[in-house]
Amino acid sequence: MKRLRDDPHMRPLFILAACVVGLALVDARDFLTVATAASSLETFATIGLVALGLGLTMMIREFDLSVVGMYSMAGCIAVVMGGTYAWLGLACALAAGLAAGLAQGWLIVRLRLGSVGVTLGGLLVFAGIAYVVTENRALPYENMEVALGLSAPVGGIFSVRSIVAIAIFAAAALVIGLTRYGRDIIAIGSDRRAAMTAGVNVDALVIGIFGFSGFCAALSGALLSYSLASASPAGLSDVIVPAAAAAILGGVSLAGGTGRPLGIAMGVLSLAVLRAGFNAVGAPPYVNEVAMGTILLLVAVLDSTYLARRVQGLVRRVH
Amino acid sequence: MSQSAEPPLTDRTLAVPAQGQMAARAGEPRNYVGIVRAAVLVILAAVALTTPGFLSQPSILSLLTTVSFIGCVAVGMTLITISGNIMSFALGALVGATAMVFVLAANWGGFAFGLVAGLAFAAATNALQGFLIGWLRANPIIVSIAALALIYGVAEAFAAHGTIYAAAGTSYAGFKGKVAGIPVEFVVFLCVAAVAQFLLSLTTFGRNLFLVGSSFRAAEAIGVRTWRAITGAYLWAGLFTAPAGIMLAIRYDAASMNYGLGYEYDAIAAVLVGGTVIKGGEGSVLRTLAGAIVIGVIQVVLVLQGLRTEWQYLIAGLIVLGVIALQTPGTRD
Repeated sequence: MKRLRDDPHMRPLFILAACVVGLALVDARDFLTVATAASSLETFATIGLVALGLGLTMMIREFDLSVVGMYSMAGCIAVVMGGTYAWLGLACALAAGLAAGLAQGWLIVRLRLGSVGVTLGGLLVFAGIAYVVTENRALPYENMEVALGLSAPVGGIFSVRSIVAIAIFAAAALVIGLTRYGRDIIAIGSDRRAAMTAGVNVDALVIGIFGFSGFCAALSGALLSYSLASASPAGLSDVIVPAAAAAILGGVSLAGGTGRPLGIAMGVLSLAVLRAGFNAVGAPPYVNEVAMGTILLLVAVLDSTYLARRVQGLVRRVH
Repeated sequence: MSQSAEPPLTDRTLAVPAQGQMAARAGEPRNYVGIVRAAVLVILAAVALTTPGFLSQPSILSLLTTVSFIGCVAVGMTLITISGNIMSFALGALVGATAMVFVLAANWGGFAFGLVAGLAFAAATNALQGFLIGWLRANPIIVSIAALALIYGVAEAFAAHGTIYAAAGTSYAGFKGKVAGIPVEFVVFLCVAAVAQFLLSLTTFGRNLFLVGSSFRAAEAIGVRTWRAITGAYLWAGLFTAPAGIMLAIRYDAASMNYGLGYEYDAIAAVLVGGTVIKGGEGSVLRTLAGAIVIGVIQVVLVLQGLRTEWQYLIAGLIVLGVIALQTPGTRD
C-alpha cells in the first residue's frame, strides 16, 4: 500500500477516486447515473487529446501554447472543407494540424528559439485565421448525419468521439511504454545534453512531438465542430486551462522528464468527472471555470521549483 | 547540433556570456535585423500615409486613444518580460476586471474611491501572481493562465449579465475631454510610461529587475532578493494596466469583461515589436512606446481599410512570429 501511495503515477487515480466520492456525497442520486458517465466521456474526448499533446511537449521541457489556436482553426477547416465529404474536411484539418505542428517544431529546433515564443506566435496566427474565417460567429455545419453519428451513444456510455480519443491514448501509451521513444522522451526532458550525447536524435523527436501535438489538437477540434454542427473560435481559457491542469495532475512536470500517457488520461478523466458532476448537481457554469482555474493554480504551486525549499525554510523558522 | 540545450520555461543556466562574447554574438545579426526593421517601418508608413483619411483629425485622435489603451497594458507587460517571465496572459482580463471594480466602487463611494479601489485591486491581483512566481518559482505562463480563468469565472459570478453600468446621474464628463488638444487618455499613458521608465532606469528595483531577468541564478548568487524584484514587477504591471481599465470604464460609463479582450496579445506584440527581448533582462519603456505606436497605427489602418477587427489576432500573431524569428538568433529563451 505504501509503495502504491508513493508512486507518483498513482496520484491521478487517487484524485479521480476523490472526485467521484466527493461528488457522490454531495448528490448521489443526480451524480451516479449513466448520463453523468457519458457526459464525462464526452468531456474526456473534448480536452483529452489536447492534454495528451500538450503533456508530451511538457515531458520534453517545452510548452505548446498553440494547441488552442489549432483547436479552433481545425474546427473551421473541417466545417468549411467537409461540407460534402466529412472525411475530406477531417483530412484537411489533420494535415493542417500536423504540418503546422511540424513547422513550429522545426522553427524551435533550427533557429534555437524558445517554444513559448514560437507557439505564442502560432496560437495567435491559428486563432486569427479562425476569427477571420468565422467572422467571430458560429459557422454552421450542414451535414447533420455526421453530427448526429459522432455523438450517438455506442455501448451505453461511449461515442465515436470518445472511442477515437481512447484509441489514440492507448496507441500513445503502447508506443511510449514499449518502444525506445518513451525512454528517449524522458531522457530529453531530464537532460537534453546528456540525451544528445547518448545518441538520441533530439531534433527529430522534438519536431515529431510538436507535430503530434498539432495533430491531436486538430483531431479533437475537428471532431468537436462536427458533433456540435458548428465551428466557432474557442477562448484561450476554455481548452488550455483543463488540458494543462489535467497533464500536471496526471504526473507530468513542467520541469520535464516525468509523466506518461495513462497518467494524463487519468488526469483528464478526473477533471471530466468533476465537470460532468457540476452539471449533474446543477451548479452554474462559472463554478466550473472557477474550479478549473483554482485547480490549475494549485497544481502550478505544487509543481513549482522552490516549493520544497520554501516549506523547509518556514519549518526551520518555526523550530 | 550541440547548442540547443538551454532549458526553457522554468529555469535558466548559470552561464552568463562574458561581455566580449555578447558583443560578438550581437554584432553581426543586428545589422540585418536593423535593415528588416527599417524596411517594415517604411512600408507601414507608406501604407498608413496612402490610406485615405489616416491624417484626418478623428483618425489621429482615435490613434492616440488606441495607443494609450494598448500602451498602458504594454508598459506593464514590459516589466514582466524584462523580469524573465515572458508574458502574462491575465492582463487583458485584468483590464476588464479593473473596469468593473472601478464602476462598482465608484457607484458606492464616489469617483476617488473607485479610482483607489481599481488600482488596489489590480495591484493586489497581480502581486499575488508575482509572489507565486517569484517566491515559489511557479511557472509564469501557467500561473497567468490560471489567473485568467479565475478572473473570468469570478467576474461571471458577480455580473451575471456581463455589463455593469455607472449609477444613473454620474457622468465622468470631466475626464473625457482633452488637455491642449490631446486626449486625456494619452496624457495618462505618458505619465504611466514616465513612471515606468523612472523605475527601470533610476531605482535599485529597476536594476535588480534587469539582473533577475538576464540571469536568475547569477542575481540570486550575488544576493539580490529575487522574489521581491519579481513580485514588484507584477505589482507595478498591475498598477500600470489598471488605468487602461479605468479609462475604458470612464469612456463608456460602464464596465464589462469584454473591454479587456485581446489586450494581452496587443501588448506583447507591442513589447516585442519595440525590441524588448522575450528571454528577459533587456528592454525599455521607450521601446514599448514605439511598439505601441506601431500596433496602434496597424489597427487604425485596418479599420480605415475596412478590415474587421478579427484580423487583429492574425496580424499580431504574424508580428510576434516574425519578431521572435529575427530576435537575437542563436539564443534560446
